[in-house]
Amino acid sequence: MLTTELLTVRFGGLAALSQVNFSVQRDQIHAIIGPNGAGKSTFFNCLTGVLRPTSGRIVFNGDEITGLPANVISQKGIARSYQITSIMPNATVRENVRIAAQSRRHAWNMISHHSNFADINEKAVTALESVGLLGKADEFAANLSHGEQRNLEIGIALATEPKLLCLDEPTAGMSAAETHDTMQLVRKIRKDLTILIVEHDMQVVMELADRITVLDYGEILAEGTPQEIQKNPKVLEVYLKT
Amino acid sequence: MTRHQKIYWAGFCVVMALLIIAPLVLPEFWRRFLTEILIWGLLAMSSDILIGYTGMVSFGHSAFFGLGMYGAAAALLIVSPPNLWLAIIFGLAGAGTVALFVAYFSTRLRDIYFAITTLIFSQIFYVIIFTWTAMTGGENGLTFRRPALSFFGLFSTPFDTATLHWFVLAVVAASYLILRRIMQSPFGMVLQSIRENEPRTRAIGYPVERYKIVAVMLSGLFAGLAGVLYAIQNRFAAPDFVYFLVSGETVIFNVMGGIGTLLGPIVGAGFFLLLRELLGRLFGEQFPYLIPLGFIFIAMIIFLPQGLLGFARRWLNR
Repeated sequence: MLTTELLTVRFGGLAALSQVNFSVQRDQIHAIIGPNGAGKSTFFNCLTGVLRPTSGRIVFNGDEITGLPANVISQKGIARSYQITSIMPNATVRENVRIAAQSRRHAWNMISHHSNFADINEKAVTALESVGLLGKADEFAANLSHGEQRNLEIGIALATEPKLLCLDEPTAGMSAAETHDTMQLVRKIRKDLTILIVEHDMQVVMELADRITVLDYGEILAEGTPQEIQKNPKVLEVYLKT
Repeated sequence: MTRHQKIYWAGFCVVMALLIIAPLVLPEFWRRFLTEILIWGLLAMSSDILIGYTGMVSFGHSAFFGLGMYGAAAALLIVSPPNLWLAIIFGLAGAGTVALFVAYFSTRLRDIYFAITTLIFSQIFYVIIFTWTAMTGGENGLTFRRPALSFFGLFSTPFDTATLHWFVLAVVAASYLILRRIMQSPFGMVLQSIRENEPRTRAIGYPVERYKIVAVMLSGLFAGLAGVLYAIQNRFAAPDFVYFLVSGETVIFNVMGGIGTLLGPIVGAGFFLLLRELLGRLFGEQFPYLIPLGFIFIAMIIFLPQGLLGFARRWLNR
């Protein structure tokens, strides 16, 4: 579904990613792990158009998307959530997902009141429902708990009706209970989605992922099923030394 | 109609009724004064689209205002007898062209860089107008006759201060209703989303630059309309109105009245101009009114940072 060929990003002399060949299969949950500074976020930023790769190609569903701006990539069906919560705190929860749902329809309409579009509202409600925030739809996003804001983050991404969802540390800073809920949530939304997930929490990764790729110093160190990764000596070495 | 809508429209009708009756009871000077507040209010309201809704502070609105003014002047001087609607069309064309030019170059910049770029562009237009004496009259500006209030051959009557007030009121009220609706539309929601979180707005699929260009165009057109009205009221166009002091006052009207409310900037303009007038009357014409006005402004920033109408921001936009 998504493949990268020799993807390289350099910041000055430092190669944040070097010649990464990577691919995600449809309907899988694919996790990317690695120590801090391994290039995980850089990789995400390339996929979603925030960063332009220095060289290499990114192909999504047969289209080359290398270096396209973020809004075009979003329209092609790749959505992301952010490691550092990036919501609109002064808007309500509903408004947060409504604006995301609207990006696919009626976006340039200047004549009608925004609440008059049943299709947008319906999509927004669906997205809120799947992240379990429908009950808090009319609260300001700033008033949500940290865990709820993280889930709203996913809700906004879902409201753009993506084919591929990239989650950047969805459980960052969450309590054990909240982490458990978010894992349930990811399992629930996976049914018509391909999910790419960057995560620090090993337990989360091992339980959720169908496939795992380990990055270290911008290179792929290992790839395989959770069982294979757990036994891989190179991976153990990297994780033990940190 | 919901309860909110009932209260809103009742309030709207009361304010409109007061403004319609005003010229019948006010003396000549205050009648003109009120009309002028509405015109400056329209200018401030147009820049609220950028400052309050899109989150871009423009210090270049004098350029749009001034081009509206000179556009109207061109129409009124070239065509005889002077025609009101032609003046509006020329003014909007002038302001719109400048707005497109400014929008194209400035919207790729953000925050202070955007503000500075708009400021520089407006100063460029100021210098052009100031020095191109053959075309613009230079420092002396242009004077012209006021057109009659005509309605496509149906009727025609010369403006007096009362009919001019009603005409300006109609234009400003219509502009307010149009802009309010646009800000409530899906398009307006995108602008507010850009204000709240620009990277996220791009990430969920909006071509942010294109929305900003349209926002600057829209803002520039309504600022130009204010310029046309000012030209018609005062029968002159002068380079002073393209100078950045006008842009600065526009921003002050917004901050005083409450950004992101559309109505706030009009209230802010009224508050500022009234205060200036009263200070002038109390202490004489020579009084440096800007000093106390500055203190009042600082006090408002500290104690009322949302502006006079800021408390009703969400309510007014619902």
